[in-house]
This record gives sequence, C-alpha cells and structure tokens, in this order.
Amino acid sequence: MIITGSAIMVRSGTDKSVERKLEAFPQVTFHGKSNSGTDLIVNFECGDQEELESLCRTIRDSIPEIVDIGHIYVNFEDEIEKIKGGLS
Amino acid sequence: MDLTRREMIKMSAAGFAAAALNISLPTTSAANEEIVVDKWIKGTCRFCGTGCGIYAGVRNGQLAGIRGNPQAVTNFGFLCVKGFKGYISMYHPDRLKFPMMRGADDKFHKVSWDDALNKVANKFKELQEKFGKDSVAFYGSGQCMTEESYTFNKLWKGGFRSNMVEGNPRLCMASAVGGYITTFGTDEPAGSYADIEKARTIFIVGSNMAECHPILFRRVARHKLQNPDNVNIMVCEPRLTPTARIADVWLPADPGTDLAVFHCMARELIKNNWTDAWYINNLCRFSTGAQDVDFKAYVDFLEQFTPEAVEKITRCPAGNIKEAARLFGSHGPSMSLWTMGLNQRTRGVWANNLIHNLHLISGNICKEGADSFSITGQPNACGGVRETGSLCQLLPGTRSVTDAAARADVEKSWKLPPGTIDPKPGFHTMEMFAKLGAENDQTKPLKAMLTSTTNPAQSLPNAPKYFKGMKEGFLVVLDIFPTRTTQLADVILPAAFIYEKGGVYGCSERRSQLTQKCVDPPGEAKSDVWIAAQIAKRMGMERLIPWNGDDPQIAYQMAWDDYRECVKLTEHSLYGMTYDRLKQLEAGLQWPCPDEKSPGTARRYVRGYDPIMNMPEIVKVPSSALIYFYGDKKHEGKANVLLRPYKGAEEPPDKDYPFFLTTGRVIEQWHTGTMTMRVAEIARSKPNAYLEIHPSDAKEYGIKEGDMVKIASRRGFNILPARVVKNSLPGILFVPWFDQEWDRMINRVTIDAFDEGSKQPEFKICAVKIEKLGEPKDVSDMYIISDPNAPFPEKV
Ligand code: SF4
Repeated sequence: MIITGSAIMVRSGTDKSVERKLEAFPQVTFHGKSNSGTDLIVNFECGDQEELESLCRTIRDSIPEIVDIGHIYVNFEDEIEKIKGGLS
Repeated sequence: MDLTRREMIKMSAAGFAAAALNISLPTTSAANEEIVVDKWIKGTCRFCGTGCGIYAGVRNGQLAGIRGNPQAVTNFGFLCVKGFKGYISMYHPDRLKFPMMRGADDKFHKVSWDDALNKVANKFKELQEKFGKDSVAFYGSGQCMTEESYTFNKLWKGGFRSNMVEGNPRLCMASAVGGYITTFGTDEPAGSYADIEKARTIFIVGSNMAECHPILFRRVARHKLQNPDNVNIMVCEPRLTPTARIADVWLPADPGTDLAVFHCMARELIKNNWTDAWYINNLCRFSTGAQDVDFKAYVDFLEQFTPEAVEKITRCPAGNIKEAARLFGSHGPSMSLWTMGLNQRTRGVWANNLIHNLHLISGNICKEGADSFSITGQPNACGGVRETGSLCQLLPGTRSVTDAAARADVEKSWKLPPGTIDPKPGFHTMEMFAKLGAENDQTKPLKAMLTSTTNPAQSLPNAPKYFKGMKEGFLVVLDIFPTRTTQLADVILPAAFIYEKGGVYGCSERRSQLTQKCVDPPGEAKSDVWIAAQIAKRMGMERLIPWNGDDPQIAYQMAWDDYRECVKLTEHSLYGMTYDRLKQLEAGLQWPCPDEKSPGTARRYVRGYDPIMNMPEIVKVPSSALIYFYGDKKHEGKANVLLRPYKGAEEPPDKDYPFFLTTGRVIEQWHTGTMTMRVAEIARSKPNAYLEIHPSDAKEYGIKEGDMVKIASRRGFNILPARVVKNSLPGILFVPWFDQEWDRMINRVTIDAFDEGSKQPEFKICAVKIEKLGEPKDVSDMYIISDPNAPFPEKV
C-alpha cells in the first residue's frame, strides 16, 4: 500500500467541477485547495507505483481541466519489508 | 497498517503537500508527524543532476519514506518516481555486505576488511614501485559525494603524485566543461534554475528533460502552462520525445548535424538585427580558436549557413529554424538548457560553443531569465568531479594541472613540498581503459584501477573492447550491488548508500546541499571516504588524509573543510559553505560563496550579484565593469564567440550501415539499472531495453511491434524487441541503455570515438544496420546480476 500527498493543478475557475469529478475515484481523498483554486491537495491510495501511475493517467485523461499532477510525499513503509524479504 | 496509522499518514501526507504550496489545511493539523516516522532528515535525491531537496523519514532505524522538501528551491517539494522510489533499492537483498577477493579458483570469497585493504594497498605499492607512480588509476563517479571524490583526488594527485584520476562525468559532461572553458574561460553556468520562470523563450537542445530531469521539466512545463501565450518552448532534438511534444517549435535535425542549425540561427539573428550591440562590442571576442577575428569575419563565416542550405544538411525545416531564431532573438529573455545530446559527440565542445554564441550576440546572458545552461546528468558530476578537479587534467577549483600557480596553491594547501604535483595530465577515461592491462603486457602502462560508484563494463561505449584490460589489470571495485564491472574485478569493496553515510552533492546550478546520515549501512559496508582513508593509511599517507575514523559524519566534515580551504581563493570558492550552514539552510548554497556571510551567488559575472567581482585577491575586475567574464585568459572580461566549422558525426550512416543509432535514458530507470531495476514497480514498468523504429522503416524491413530485431554496428550487436513508433525521423533508431542483459547491452554497439577537446565519446551517434530475427518473444525478464560469482557472459 502506498499513500501520497499530492497536488493537482487545474485550470483557473475549474476547481469545483474537478472536485466533483474526483469523487468518482475512491482512491482519491480531497483535503483542500489554494486560494486561487488552481492547486488541489489530495491523497492517492494505491497498491503500488504502477497502480498509482495508471490512476493518475486515468484521472488526467478523464478530467481535461487538470493541467498537472505532482506528488510531494509518498509513504512506502510496507514495501521496505517486502523488498528486504526478497519479495519484490 | 492499522486504520488509525493509515489515516494519520494520509493527513500528514496531505499536510506536507499543502505546506509545499503554502496552503493551510485545517483537516491535517491533527496529524501527528511523530506517528508517521521517528524523524525526518534533510538531504538530496541521488538520481539525477537536478538536486531535488528531500526529507528522508526514519522509523525503527530504517527509511520509511521520502518526501520532497518544499523549501528546496530546486524542486519546491516535488519529486519524480526515481526520487520517491529509487532509495528502496538500498534494502534489496543483493546488497554487497562484506569485502570479497577473487581466489585461485577464480571465484570471489568473503574476506575481512583488513585482508581486503592490505591486499589493495600492498598491490598498489608493489605496482607503483615496479611500474612507476602512474601505473595505478582511480576512476570515480558523478554519484560519489564531494568529500569522496576530493579524498581520492587528493590521495592520487598529492599522495601518489599521479594525475591518473578520472570519473564517469568524462562520459557525460566533459564537453560542457570544454564549452564553458573555451567560451568563458571558466566552468559552469552563469545563472540558475530560477531563470526558467523568468524566461520567455526556452530552448531545449539534445535533452529529453521530461524523462531525464522530470522536476526541472515540470518547472518548464508549468511556466508554459501558466503563460501559454507569452512563453515559447523550442526543442532541437531528432526524436519527438515527451519533451519535444510541448514545444512551440520543434527542430528535428539529424543526429550530429545541429552545429549547422545553431550557425544558421546566429546568421538569422544578425540578418534581422535581433542582436545586442552593447554585448557584441563590450563582451564578445570573435575567434576561430586559433586567432581573433572581427565581427565582420564572423558574419562572413556564417553566410554559408542559409536556412535552405542547412535544411539540406540536417533535414530540419528551414522555416522552423527561422522561427526559432526569431523567438530566441526577439522574444527574450531566452534560456537554453541542454544535456547529453549536445555533449556526447565528437564535436560536443563545439556544439556547446555555438549555443553560447547565440546567447552572447543576442545579449541573452547575465540577465534574469537569460542563460546558457548545461544540465548535468548525475547528482554530483558538477559538485563532486568538476569542482573538486577529479579529472586527469584538473585540480580542485576546476584549475588546470598545467597551471604552475594553481599547482603551487594546491601544494601549499595540502602542505606538500613545491613540485609535488605532476604538471602532466594523466590519461582521460577512454585512454585509461585502453591502456589498462596485465603486468606482463608491455603495451599497457596502467596495471591497476580502483573504481567507485560506477559500472564501466556496461557504461563505456564499445564496451567489449575494454573488458580484457579490466579483467587482466588489478581491478578494485567499490559498489553497492554486483554489476558487470564487479564480474571483472579482483577485489570488491561493499560501499554505503548516500543515506547510510551523508555528504555533499553539488547540482547543475552550482548549488551544494548536505545530506546527513539517516541509517546504518548493511552488513560490513563502509563509506568511500573510510575506504580511501584506510588505503591511504596503509600506504603511509595518513598525514595527507587524516580523516580515517569510523564515524562518517566526522570524517566527511573533515574532508569538506579541507576542500573548502583548498579552493578558498578561487573563482569557485565555497569557503563560506560550512557544514553548520549547510545543515541549517533548507536549500543549500550556490558558489561563489567566499565567506560565511555570503548568501551564495545566483548570477555570476554581474556586479551586485557575484562577490568575486569585488575580490581582487582572486580576480581583478575594473570598477566600472557591470558585467565582466573574469575567467577570460586575456583579462579583458570578454567571452569568445567561436567560429567553429561545420562537422557532422564520426560515423554517419552509409550503404552498409544505413541507420543512425541514438541512445538515452527513460524516466523510470537510472544509468545501468543496477539500482532502479531492483525496485519492483520500476522494473515492471521498464523491464527490458527495446529498439524504437519509425513505421516507414519497420514496414520496409517487415518488422512489426514486438518482433525480435538484430541491430549491428561495425563493433557489435544486440537483439531487441521492436517498438514501432513515430517518435523519430525515419532512419533514426533509439535504444535505452539501462539494460544489463548481454543481448540488450547497447554499449556493445556504440562507438568509442571521442571529442578531441573534451575526450568525451560519441555515445549518441553511430551507424547501424538491422535485421528482423523473428516473431515477438517475451524478454521482460527484468534482468539483474545478483551473484558476484555469476560468470561473465563472454570469454575475456
Ligand atoms: S528530478 Fe532528479 S533529483 Fe529530482 S526527484 Fe527526480 S531523479 Fe531525483
């Protein structure tokens, strides 16, 4: 399981509609946004990195108002145990 | 992970993201950081030259997470997939955990550190006594910490009196060094990353930033997206890479032909009066390299490079070149950014010069948003190798070993008798590997080599040519995993990873940042500085390298302080960057930083920004000069606009080998894949190398997606699955170079011709032919060398 702290950059004036559209993705938790409304703060929760990348791609493709998705924090603590055990 | 902890992590994660963007989130204030990790330690990412600031989270004595440092002005909190995931490889069970020596049975056996170090020191002494001081070489890396490169460099140049010191930045950055030195008289860019957000035209050349420097590319892309009508991106690159896809103007020139494009742009700038007369009159010296000429001679020289003539040479549309020149000259400030596509060439230095020419004649340098900026590929190629002078012709402060005053200054700093440092440069990388060999081989003057944090058996161009020398010479390899190079070694020394030792990295924008030790290394692995100092001690050079204690934090600080002192009175002074300051400051410091009050330097050569302008003890700058290129060897404060003749690639396609081959990186993988291929998700997303081919070429050869294709040059071949893509121009093939699997090691195919000035090889261009071998086959084996005793695939 990986959990991110991420920023979704959206076109000016589209924040509310993007927030609504994000509700369709249970892996996304919305926390808040910048005063300008162009940066939304979210978590992504995914099984692994591949899943995270494919989720971001899907979200980008289905919400054209999104300009960019960037991750600031990713927690991988479960994965260290896996890799140490040679499970990777 | 229980629910409470998961919720806490989610809130903390959102809190970090919000903080990075200065957003206050009431919902996350309840999150207790202490629950997520025991402590956060400041450092830098080690997977490219951007120098992204990170915080490493430590929990129960091991790393539990990485987050971007929002106050790091390189990345403002953002990280790419390699930054987040790459470090996980340090926990892989394949880590080298104890020293090993090759036995009489040709197998590696575990030995004690004492045995390994005594063997190395005694063998080095024996060889130096028998074959001379220059018979033992050091080959380092742009991934070594600055303190490590400095220590090895000092041991060799000051202790052994030998300039047989090289590093893999010769393979990636040497042409950029040559370009800066021949144009400006001194290495490294004038400006900073912050110029990206001030530029109105950004010219990206020979760089797939989107995949190789994703966070810098993010800055470029965001700048464009926020100012779609006012910011223009131009990309000169033969492939329609993810970088080129955001370009307003794409200049798809055939590999190795872009010198003509740059000259043509200069011609257009002058013809249309998009030049800056003040810069031309006051800051430019026109030169053929051999002799100075006047501006008119430059104009006359450029006359041959009409857009139409250049289109014939390069296949780059004339209209695109004209538009690029217009934007560059009339829609500034303009900033150029480039990497290996410009450097890894037999005319790499010249290509660098020609980019600088554009900036100089149009006045696009030494101003906000205007710079001629080389991006480095490795995290510490600039800080660790270029700046510490860990190349065969250099001394600390990027000074030349041939410069008597520089030698005297370094000897004084190192408390060595005058005349200790050899004025003759050692062998450059390709010469070094060509001249490494057996003791009884009289054609090979080098008998031993110590390599650190690099994998030349996979990364050298035309690699098989050099296997024999590596196998027959006495080869000592410091690394964290088994590699193709450890397979050829005599002694393997297990090294610590960046977060297991700490140290300073200096990124592309002259910024040094300190990473502090986070966790202990596994098994008996040790830091490079400890290893270097122990070898020095055993060779009687303890006074020269006294930082041989067990605590890396003390040893690295001692090495750093010694280095600061050594370069104190140079243009590259970082004397003001004490460990204490680097620990406290979130974003590190940019040199020149000559004293402890200095805030560092965002823009060189400009009065009011660059403290060196007011330091006559280092360089004399006339008090009236506002901009002054003080590296100018003629002491006129000018830069050279160089009239470099057009010359294409060393090995262009012909009837026998009709395709260009170009090589490069992909976003997921790093260099030879030894670390990133050990991160499961990364490996799964790019499990093997492949051959990119244009649909029209594929059709001609009957190749379909996934078919197995043999690609051969005059030197060797690979067998790879085909990817039929429209990314490249017809006639140009691309293969990434991360794969260790024998059939897919593309450096068995590349050419080892090199630039006469920089000695950097032409990885990016050679001629190849292809042949369809068969139907698709699953080669997604995520191949890695796990066992140091796995046999080398070819009889050497
Ligand atoms: S851009 Fe480079 S330095 Fe930044 S996180 Fe990615 S690999 Fe690391």
